[in-house]
Amino acid sequence: MKAVSGEGVLGRIIDVTQPGTTVFAGGLMALLALLVGVPIAMVLIMSLRTGFPGEGGPLTLVNFITAYTDPGTYEVLLNTLLFAAGTVTVTLLFAVPMVWLLMRTDMPLKGTVYVLMTVGILIPVFLRTIAWILLLSPRIGLVNQWAKQIFGLDQPLVSLYNIPGMAFIQGVSFVPAAFFMLAAAYRTMDPALEEAAYTSGVTKLQTFLRINIPITLPAIAGVMVYLFMTAIAVFEVPAIIGLPARILVLSSLIYTSTNPPTGLPNYGLAGAYGSIMLLAGLTFAYFYVRLVRQGKKYTVITGRGYRPREIALGGWKWPALAFVIFYLSMEVFMPFVVLLWTSLLPHLQLPSMAALSTISMKNFRTIFDYAGTLPFINTAILMFAVPTVTMLLSVLISWVVIRTQVSFRGILDTMAFLPHAMPSILLAVGLGYLGLAYRGIFPVYGTIFIIIFAHTINWIAYGTRTTNSVMIQVHRELEEAGKVSGASTPRVLGHIVLPLVAAGVFNSWVWVSMLSYREVTMALTLYTRSNVVISTVVWQFWGSGWVPEVAALGVILVLFAIIVVGGLKIGFSRIVEISSGT
Amino acid sequence: MKRLRLLVAGLVVALLAIAGMAQDGLAAPVDELIASAKKEGAIEFYTSSTLTPEGAQKLGEAFNKKYGLNIKLNYNPGDSYTRDVGKVVGLAASGVAPEWDVMVVHDAGHATLWLRKAHKPFDYAKLGVDPKAIQYDNGTVILANQFALPAYNSKILPPQDVPKKWEDLLDPKWKGGKLGMSTATHHLARLATAWGEKKATEYVKALAKQAPMLGTLATITTRLQLGEVLLAVTLNDSFVHRAKVTGAPIVFAEGVEPVISPAYNAGVLKGARHPNAGHLLAAFLTTSEAQEIWEKYNSQTSALVPGTTAYKYAQGKKVLYMNQDQAEMVDRLTREYGKLLGFEK
Repeated sequence: MKAVSGEGVLGRIIDVTQPGTTVFAGGLMALLALLVGVPIAMVLIMSLRTGFPGEGGPLTLVNFITAYTDPGTYEVLLNTLLFAAGTVTVTLLFAVPMVWLLMRTDMPLKGTVYVLMTVGILIPVFLRTIAWILLLSPRIGLVNQWAKQIFGLDQPLVSLYNIPGMAFIQGVSFVPAAFFMLAAAYRTMDPALEEAAYTSGVTKLQTFLRINIPITLPAIAGVMVYLFMTAIAVFEVPAIIGLPARILVLSSLIYTSTNPPTGLPNYGLAGAYGSIMLLAGLTFAYFYVRLVRQGKKYTVITGRGYRPREIALGGWKWPALAFVIFYLSMEVFMPFVVLLWTSLLPHLQLPSMAALSTISMKNFRTIFDYAGTLPFINTAILMFAVPTVTMLLSVLISWVVIRTQVSFRGILDTMAFLPHAMPSILLAVGLGYLGLAYRGIFPVYGTIFIIIFAHTINWIAYGTRTTNSVMIQVHRELEEAGKVSGASTPRVLGHIVLPLVAAGVFNSWVWVSMLSYREVTMALTLYTRSNVVISTVVWQFWGSGWVPEVAALGVILVLFAIIVVGGLKIGFSRIVEISSGT
Repeated sequence: MKRLRLLVAGLVVALLAIAGMAQDGLAAPVDELIASAKKEGAIEFYTSSTLTPEGAQKLGEAFNKKYGLNIKLNYNPGDSYTRDVGKVVGLAASGVAPEWDVMVVHDAGHATLWLRKAHKPFDYAKLGVDPKAIQYDNGTVILANQFALPAYNSKILPPQDVPKKWEDLLDPKWKGGKLGMSTATHHLARLATAWGEKKATEYVKALAKQAPMLGTLATITTRLQLGEVLLAVTLNDSFVHRAKVTGAPIVFAEGVEPVISPAYNAGVLKGARHPNAGHLLAAFLTTSEAQEIWEKYNSQTSALVPGTTAYKYAQGKKVLYMNQDQAEMVDRLTREYGKLLGFEK
């Protein structure tokens, strides 16, 4: 009787008023436990052993003692904290105004800006960083050269080889990720609140600060948590900008442990360093879940006359566009010019008439000789399969977390976030060994499917942060209305919830697809000759010093992405128009 | 006189017989190996991505032509030797067969495999391989040598500033980020095989005080091309050769000695699925046919094979080759120097 009334331990776990939902959520939890929990457990065990994965041996804390009794570790952790905090600040300073401008206002050229935001990610980070070196290097940077000529300075005016420099470059590169995560929340916002503010005489800026930002706080918090964890894990900018000046961050320690110049990787020590990320991730997840539980405060899409409209910027239209172009010139135009210039040269050199006389299309012709066609086929599979599976799982998880009262929904959400709190290289190592050990049962090792698994696990955190922030804004009354009309839960999900969150899901689909294309750490760790992808080819080219070839590949991909993303964007808009018309 | 003639004729016959037997002795192991390799039918071959699929195909064709085989050579390009050596060790520890039969990595990588007993040894001398090229207790054969030296941008660095000896890099004029040091700290650790640990370590400590800009070999080369660093403490000949091919003004500071020479070795892995074909291929890689292809695609040859580019380059120079007895010391110093220079905390 107690169980029926929903009381008691079992009653608290299983919501008997919605047994189907609880069973579904339980099934999802089991799937997530298998997908996420097993590789993470593998990594944790690795950190508690001194030997190599597969060697066994007794459990020990020696890796943790080595890692955390060294005072140098705490200096590195402070660097990491400053770098991550600086990165998130820079990202939000650009991303929040930009998402508001693109999603809520009538700023011109929005479609073009959207596509450019997407393609920026396709420019390899190391080439993007070369652009910054050409601009801000103390010795050869154009800004410092000009400053010396104009002001007669003896010392460089600016240098990028410090933590603020690293945070700025990384922060700018994270803007598209933050943009796509926030876009969904801003796109679906009911303009009634903004209109009410305007009619009360509140300015657009005040409305943005007092209405838009508070309403989208869960989305912004989700982005902050996600980006903070990403900033802790990223390696390229710390390696290219931090390492030359001996600025080490947590990812540098993990990289050195897993890629020593000689000898064997020390995955145990890397796992011990990574555990601080796990701890940070769990702490953030706890506060994030608490914030999300206050979901009703952030509901903006209700059953009454919801119709998002654009805000007229009037005379502010052009300064707004200038702000966006300023950002795009740093993120897309300048790196793309460097990319294009480098792709045409036999070797990397500064612009000059002599260099101009050597340009040719040779690098574009030789790419296929070196790489063949397999990397392109595998990458196409990856770019379609990973976002599809990730977003499908994310929608289902977010629905349980945000839309149901299942008692363990917080655990489900935390579990979805956990992979992001693990160094991806360790996740891939764990998955690789599982793949080998069970290849008789699941013959995925060495195939593209194991990379699809790894990427999906890695980006469930991204997917669910986005779908959470969208779903939290959809009022329950819409689903309740559907249920009252006799529709089943899957039907309500498919016909009411999904169409409302479709735009956000589409944005994230595109973005996860791009992330999957670019990801190199896991792809390299799980790499065999059958599952080679473009990012591993780019890495191999770069590692061999074939910079012009990497640039040529980058140019091809950027142009390809402009066509594909532009096409998808137009196609999706048409579908939405037709759907709303009917 | 007649007796003398008979004696000479007898000796000639005896010598010919001995030579014939020696030939038979050499031919027999090769023939046996060829027959066994034929049954295996394939080889999983791991080596650097610079060989390219085309280079691997040419190598496979030449291998089959030489031994009258039709073996499929599956090329597995690698990019991180330490990670992939780690993979082999991990698989061996789990009792899982390695993914590759033959692995071509630098001597330090094979040292790790040797210490873990992950090679399948073979008497390569019986196949006619130069005993000097056989390393790690018959576990590997040297097929190519790299050379590493300080390198500079010839368009930027004035000739009078080009270092003539290793100690020139310690001149105060190079302080403050004008030098570039790559993650290949094993180059400096190898100096200890000639200088002794104490002198080499003092040298690296002094070098660290110059505060060189740190990075990978690729990023240091890029910074050298851009003029951001003026001198790379060490660069290997793959990058210098590549610069030459593309017209980039990156050259070695020739004359600096000793010249560091990491060796590329080919070894068959324990538990390999095609060990016989693997051993045959490892031996083949030291032949002139293979060396020609290797040079064309990887721009490297063996300093132990007369007539090759590496052989000619090494003549008259003091070159440091690491042997298996020095491997542990080089490994230890590599890590120590990484810390001294700031790559690790």
